[in-house]
Amino acid sequence: MENVDLVVIGAGPAGYPAAIRAAQHGARVVIIEREELGGTCLNWGCIPTKTLISAADRYASAMESADYGIQHGKPTVDYGKMVALKNTVVAGLRKGIKGLLKGNKIDHLTGTARFRDRQHIAVQTSDGIEQVVVAKRVLIATGSAPARPGFLPDHARVVDSRGFLDIDHLPKSLIVLGGGIIGCEFACMAARLGVKVTIVELLDDILTTLDTDVRRTVRDAMTKNLGIRILTGQALQDIEADDKKVSGRCGDDTVSAELLLSAVGRIAVTEGLALEKAGLALDERGYIPVDAWGLTRTASIAAAGDVNGGPQLAHAATSQALRIVDNWFGKERARLETLVPACIFTTPEAGAVGMGELAAGEQERRVTSGRFPFMALGKAMALGDTTGFVKWIADAETGQLLGAHSVGPHATELIAEATVAIRAELTVTELAHTIHAHPTLSESWMEAAEAANGHCIHLPPTRGRK
Amino acid sequence: MAQAITMPKLGQTAEESTIVKWHKTVGDKIDKGDILFEIETDKAVLEVESFFEGTLLKTFVGEGDTVPVMSVVGYIGAVGEKVPDAPPAAPAAPAAAIAAPSPATAKPESSTPAAQATAATAQPTVPAATPAVSRPASAPATAPAPVPTVERKAISPRARALARRSAVDYDPIPGTGPGGRIVEADVRRYLSEQGYDQRPITPAALVLAIAEGIDILNVRGSGDGGRILVADIRRVMAERPKPMNRMRSIIADRLTESFTTTPHFYVTVETDMTELLQLRRQLKETGKDYTVTVFILEAVILALEAFPGVNSRYQDHAVIWNSHVHLGMATALEEGLVVPVIRNAETLSLAELQQQIVSLATKARDGKLLPDEMSGSTFTVSNMGMMNVENFAAIINPGEGAILAVASTQPKAVVRDGKIVVRSMMKMTVSSDHRIIDGSVGARFINAVKDNLEDMELWKTLTS
Repeated sequence: MENVDLVVIGAGPAGYPAAIRAAQHGARVVIIEREELGGTCLNWGCIPTKTLISAADRYASAMESADYGIQHGKPTVDYGKMVALKNTVVAGLRKGIKGLLKGNKIDHLTGTARFRDRQHIAVQTSDGIEQVVVAKRVLIATGSAPARPGFLPDHARVVDSRGFLDIDHLPKSLIVLGGGIIGCEFACMAARLGVKVTIVELLDDILTTLDTDVRRTVRDAMTKNLGIRILTGQALQDIEADDKKVSGRCGDDTVSAELLLSAVGRIAVTEGLALEKAGLALDERGYIPVDAWGLTRTASIAAAGDVNGGPQLAHAATSQALRIVDNWFGKERARLETLVPACIFTTPEAGAVGMGELAAGEQERRVTSGRFPFMALGKAMALGDTTGFVKWIADAETGQLLGAHSVGPHATELIAEATVAIRAELTVTELAHTIHAHPTLSESWMEAAEAANGHCIHLPPTRGRK
Repeated sequence: MAQAITMPKLGQTAEESTIVKWHKTVGDKIDKGDILFEIETDKAVLEVESFFEGTLLKTFVGEGDTVPVMSVVGYIGAVGEKVPDAPPAAPAAPAAAIAAPSPATAKPESSTPAAQATAATAQPTVPAATPAVSRPASAPATAPAPVPTVERKAISPRARALARRSAVDYDPIPGTGPGGRIVEADVRRYLSEQGYDQRPITPAALVLAIAEGIDILNVRGSGDGGRILVADIRRVMAERPKPMNRMRSIIADRLTESFTTTPHFYVTVETDMTELLQLRRQLKETGKDYTVTVFILEAVILALEAFPGVNSRYQDHAVIWNSHVHLGMATALEEGLVVPVIRNAETLSLAELQQQIVSLATKARDGKLLPDEMSGSTFTVSNMGMMNVENFAAIINPGEGAILAVASTQPKAVVRDGKIVVRSMMKMTVSSDHRIIDGSVGARFINAVKDNLEDMELWKTLTS
């Protein structure tokens, strides 16, 4: 039986940075992971999907290169090779984490953790050996897994996001069940590699967490440029899978494809933890509730990342985990950060941070907005991609930047500047006065800030000029 | 012919009212019965309906302004019609208002509002006596508002601009200019002494602090490294004194007056409600649905008739007995508290009493009580039965001799015939003015209320 300062359960984007930071503070740390280091993000989420999307980008630009004066033979897709590349990238990153854990003298146990009480954690390894660790503090960072609705048949033609990443050849046609961020990212990637894609979403629109204007832009592009069929406001019923196809009924339509990807949301991973032994209970949605400091109702136990019901984003998980560990082992205490940017790797990409116009309306807060389309930006024209825009939401009285939304080329990179500006509580005027290098896509933020003040140089005058 | 809209006189007590909200703006088409504006009197907010149709041509009184009753607040007429630029003087005697509060009060039929308006508009030579306008809860509207004589320090424009730009109050800055005037160098020295440069603040927080006139030297930052954030400024804003509305101000004054000038004493009893609640359930099954409140009020009315001394008030070394029971029932509203009054309550049957209670409580919640329905009570009951309270004591309403506080009915272990049994028990506390009510009277009175509530023969008679 070992006595340590911190046990981290789960080595995903919350768990492994927390372990390293605690070690930096001089704590003795054990990290427990039952699968691979890096968690969903590295193994079955962010990194593998972005590797595949990057390959799709190359294919798309090769297809369009004739327009830019480059002639070569018709490009073809070797999906098996793309998957192999993805696996190489993932393996490399996993190795990196292993090295970091070792370098920081963190004990890494492979197995499933189970609370015996709030301080004693049993780890069951695959060879059946049980080891008990005694921890002063515990960080639960077990993440989430794809939800598997009961109405889906158990068949090789029905996969979730994790299962999709394991296939070594692309289907000719694909049904994506769920028009959320994960569903739309996979749909765009597959469609760009030539798969015929149908999205079925129960809600009235896809990507409902996005700003309305952004959503419209993405949806239009998905339909018109990628030829994705989008069915909304309808459930997919009577789903059947056989050797040849998977099909279902959607209102009056019948949809069928070679493969069905289920992307209907994710659920917290808590089974086997025996949380009740540590005095914990799940909330009604199945998450471990935490306070503004990330602590559970057992003060020596915290939960970070997807498992606590916050935004299901790797960077939010990392930030929470580091804050919790700094509060425990560092000098200054602070609440968890609340400003979380979101990146969506559809085609076009989208980014969002802070307040949306809808939320402002609900809070009856007076806001102004400033928008700048890439159509009016030199760099976007030079890149040959003028889809989309950036938009600021600012407080009407003080000009404080409250929210930012981007859609279009490199929109996910662009959101970083907006995040810094909002967290620093800059005003539209200051952002407008900040010199932005030319020619870059980032200039759009400056132009949009000018637009919020009614002083945009590269847009025609509007009636509402102030 | 343009019609004058006047501030209605609501009941006998109101001398001035405040327009809290206009529902129409100049140029709006008005139909008969449209709500023109909301007024706030000492006791309530009421909607005022139009008696005429046409177009709202002019308004003289803005939201938040208080004017004497019967003042002309605006005109309704045909588009393009000429109306006076200033309101005519308020008539000395109350006359018919062409705007009536909703629900409509009784109005003299004889007087013609149109003639009234004509008379007013026909005398444009009368000096434009603008109704004395005052902010809510200020000095009486008839007296000219005293010019505030706030002593601000002498400061140079450059110094003032610097202080403002820095979001600091210049009052504490010692001035070294002629006659102690604050000059720019003084502000710079002050900022440096106060460690102004070491106080990080976000740009948006600074803009907000300047706009709101908040001295950031008094703000503690909660951001990284103690940086002042917008949230910190908003916290200071939220902590600033907020003026009470008129209703709340009056509640404050009257309760302070009562509690500081009336010698209160308190007597508490516990009543066994078990049988009455059983009887109430039985009655309900036979289609007679009485509330618990009606039983309590009836028990109080009967006790007041037996102890008229409690239904009295003290005034200048005299006792004033009331021959009728005008029973006030304290009713909590979202924005305060009102006490609708059941007049001549002793003359009502139990069913009539119940009907009155329901009607007044509904009006109170909808903000439709007229001032006369909220004044003249001789005794008040404050019922917190639904608030899950063990017991409480109330403050006597000014103009009354006592008040009864009714707490929640809760199951309790009590001794009956030497055995411990569970009964539904309710505590009541009477607060009495000791100048006119002695301890023994208070005790006997509240025991009479208790005895009434526990007397099933009484209730069977009253509900049969």
